[in-house]
Amino acid sequence: MLLFKPEIIRMLQGVADIWAEHKDELSQIDSRFGDGDHGVTIGKIAARIRQNLEGWQDDDVETFLEDLGDDIMAIGGGSAGPLYGTMIGGLAGGLAGAAPEGGLDAGAVKKMFAASLEAMEDITTAKVGDKTMMDALIPAVEAAAQAEGDIPEVLQAAMEAAAQGAKKSEEFVSKFGRARSYKEQTIGTPDAGAVSTSLFFQGLWEGLKERG
Amino acid sequence: MKMKKFINDPENLTPELLEGFAAAHSDLVTLGDQRMIINNKLADADRVTIVTQGGSGHEPAISGFVGEGMVDISVVGDVFAAPGPQACVDAIKLADKGKGVLYIVLNHAGDMLTGNMTMKKCAKEGLNVVKVVTQEDIANAPRSNSDDRRGLVGCIPTYKIAGAAAAEGKSLEEVAAIAQRFADNMATLAVAVRGATHPATGSLLAELGDDEMEIGMGQHGEEGGGRQPMKTADETAEIMLNALINDLDIKSGEKVMLILNGSGATTLMELFIIYRKCVSYLKEKNIEIAANYVGELLTVQEQAGFQMFMARMDDELLHYWNAPCNTPYMKR
Repeated sequence: MLLFKPEIIRMLQGVADIWAEHKDELSQIDSRFGDGDHGVTIGKIAARIRQNLEGWQDDDVETFLEDLGDDIMAIGGGSAGPLYGTMIGGLAGGLAGAAPEGGLDAGAVKKMFAASLEAMEDITTAKVGDKTMMDALIPAVEAAAQAEGDIPEVLQAAMEAAAQGAKKSEEFVSKFGRARSYKEQTIGTPDAGAVSTSLFFQGLWEGLKERG
Repeated sequence: MKMKKFINDPENLTPELLEGFAAAHSDLVTLGDQRMIINNKLADADRVTIVTQGGSGHEPAISGFVGEGMVDISVVGDVFAAPGPQACVDAIKLADKGKGVLYIVLNHAGDMLTGNMTMKKCAKEGLNVVKVVTQEDIANAPRSNSDDRRGLVGCIPTYKIAGAAAAEGKSLEEVAAIAQRFADNMATLAVAVRGATHPATGSLLAELGDDEMEIGMGQHGEEGGGRQPMKTADETAEIMLNALINDLDIKSGEKVMLILNGSGATTLMELFIIYRKCVSYLKEKNIEIAANYVGELLTVQEQAGFQMFMARMDDELLHYWNAPCNTPYMKR
């Protein structure tokens, strides 16, 4: 299959929907060792995604994603804004030179995920095991790269790996952010950012699935 | 437990507080786009200018120190949350009067992320900016690992020192070097006896037992590892002074700046009782308090406790600390 603008809109809408739905849960997870406002910020990001989707006119996918990333960075809600702005805007990096009118194939989706991870690695040294959103993002991008089959299989592989990664973050000790001060006490609670990243991939998948 | 705060929609805390703040101090500052608080005298500045960034909820920090002789623009994020990098880049562009900009960032994960992204964007655009990071919390990492130290109240005297050097016409390199020298010689230790609630979410930022205090608590209620039974003012002062003196390796005969910064719900009465002990204890050690401040500079909502700040001073730094300034919450 190929992704055109309507499919991409549905996928991002899926992310906005699932984030808006889970924002209270994300704040609750964050309240253990963070400021308890991760869901507030994620809710704001979801609203920005919706606004940008509604206002999407003639821009190609690459430009749209870049602008969306910049807009998310500007929300001023702490690290989640710059991080998700980079992650989502970073998807555009995989489209450089791709012909947008031809639609995006599974290879292009893999490239977008890889570019997103690259953009994140450029701004953080966090690795799997540091109890951050990278616990979900890194395995998701790796699983997508190795997935065989078409776009749905790629998205499903990413979603499952992200969910496992977020679950596994429960076992880790926080190395970044406010939670770091709590050291071993953070074991047993997942990282709120890893959970929201896992929801991002789930949202992409669910948005694509819902054919309407 | 329901939060008892005089607020409206929690979503609008930051814009509403900035509107009120700018209106209350309209003779000194103006609220600009993207939640910038701008020095009214910035337009006439023919010197290095100072930009800083940080979350709201710590009033009077950080915007209370925008004005003559300190900060030219503060870029404000949500409660306890950093602003985005684009607003900081735009602030640096707006602040630059042809002599360059000193950009002061406190060491917290979100602030550093924004700070690093801002510097990358500035480099791309060829802007003349130098970043200085304040990281002086001795509770969460040793001096040898200072990149892991949180930025506490030490940003405020750093604004003062840097702002004064800039006002005297020093070059960007000189202003940055002076600010860095001061920042390298400062240390803060915090103590808390009661946590605060996050005003946007209502969640409790730290929980302490009735007869407990925690030495080392960060300014968002982060644990510091020094939980212990409540002590008297004199005992607490002595523990904290010793930790700061040891960290800075202050010797008999040296001069220091000493700041007692209330966290929001500790009375001035208590701070003066603590300060009294600081004076006698340092006198015993033959350490001179050459500069001081007792009051609230950087708060954590209604957290009870205080931050004790110490910095090694010399005549040049004292000159900048004592130089004129006119900001909403610090005047000389």
